Amino acid sequence: MSAAERLGRDADAGEPEALHRPAVAGVLAAALVACLIAALVGVPRDGAHLPAVARQALEAAEPGWGIAEPVNEVVYGSRGFDTFGETFLLLAAVVSVTTLTRRREARSEHAGSQGEEEAGRRERDEIDPVAETDHTEATARIAEDDERPQSGAGNALTYPDREPLGSPAPEHAAGMSVVTRTAARTAAPILAVGGVYLAAEGYSPGGGFPAGAVLLGVVLLLWAGFGTQRMGPVVRQDPVEALELAGAVGIIAIEVLGLLIKGSVSANWLPLAHSPTTIFSGGVLQAFSGSELIEVSTGLTLTIFALLAMRHDWTPDEDEVEES
Amino acid sequence: MILANYVAAACVFGLGLYTVLSRRNLIKIVMGLSLMESSTYLLLISMAYRRGSTAPVLSNPQPGQTAGSLARGNVADPVLQNFCLTAIVIGVAVTAVFLSVAVRVAQHYRTLDADRIRALRG
Repeated sequence: MSAAERLGRDADAGEPEALHRPAVAGVLAAALVACLIAALVGVPRDGAHLPAVARQALEAAEPGWGIAEPVNEVVYGSRGFDTFGETFLLLAAVVSVTTLTRRREARSEHAGSQGEEEAGRRERDEIDPVAETDHTEATARIAEDDERPQSGAGNALTYPDREPLGSPAPEHAAGMSVVTRTAARTAAPILAVGGVYLAAEGYSPGGGFPAGAVLLGVVLLLWAGFGTQRMGPVVRQDPVEALELAGAVGIIAIEVLGLLIKGSVSANWLPLAHSPTTIFSGGVLQAFSGSELIEVSTGLTLTIFALLAMRHDWTPDEDEVEES
Repeated sequence: MILANYVAAACVFGLGLYTVLSRRNLIKIVMGLSLMESSTYLLLISMAYRRGSTAPVLSNPQPGQTAGSLARGNVADPVLQNFCLTAIVIGVAVTAVFLSVAVRVAQHYRTLDADRIRALRG
């Protein structure tokens, strides 16, 4: 039984489910649903007039900002301060995930260390020659070795096509077949241009938000095609973090300059283009959207890759070995 | 009949809450939270809809119309669409944090069973 199967068994099948739990949960959830439905019956429906704030956003989009996309006027203009807060909530989440998923730092990297990391490395890596190693343990160690960045030259990770299809887990193949890799190579630049277009010229609702998600999709497509071993050196944490902070600094600068120059956060302090839906129309909206594109694409990339980079622990527990 | 959307959103929220309260597997609890988030997207987009309305986009008006007349016409609510965008981004961020906590818990306790994480008791 694999570690993943064991985790699932523990959580849901290892012990009989207490009957009171679904019963209490069902009653509470049903009561809340009833309250929500009672409240939602009174909410304005599809025949109601638009609220004044929505009408104001619609009417101010073109004359006030030179854009034909009122959702962007709301996101980056009249409610830009909301987006500002939301952006830094995203940044806080990225910092949280990065902190939670980071690997153990070597002791020798800390000031005042006496070199314990180096001194104990040989013993730590040493495998007890007396201890018996069964097939499960040996397979787990091979899988852990394969995941180490330094191992990989010349093995199955570099040539994923050599891995026979349908091999039992843990999987060694880090990339997909040559057909998938060629398709990823072809589609990635087209999708990347499309993503940037969404923020630059397309004026999609949200601008930088969906565009950032598209760019993340491009990175994930390449990762799925080529694997961690190939993508790791390309998507390095330090430059991506720096880029993300540059996006955050750009947003702060845009908002603060609005306060200093126009007396209001999110006020437009850039000249507007004569015609809407050009790359120069929108004033600070477009700059905000561009910064958001950087912030969202890099932030989500950091988050996903931090989760993907969490090392597996294939070594079985002692009680698991006894069971098998 | 937009009320059906409102009721569906409330039911999806209830399903998510039921999952969070009744499941012991941390991944399933996170999935329940994602269901609750998704119900808010459905509710916000449904509340933004107006019968017979167009999307809040003022480019390429039909002959005889201008961007100004489109803005004064029957258009979906852009403010609630903005809220939906905000909710999606926050939902992604929160789910990522929860998942990383779940992975760390699984590595530390060798289980995803919320009942077996004894260190949280007492």
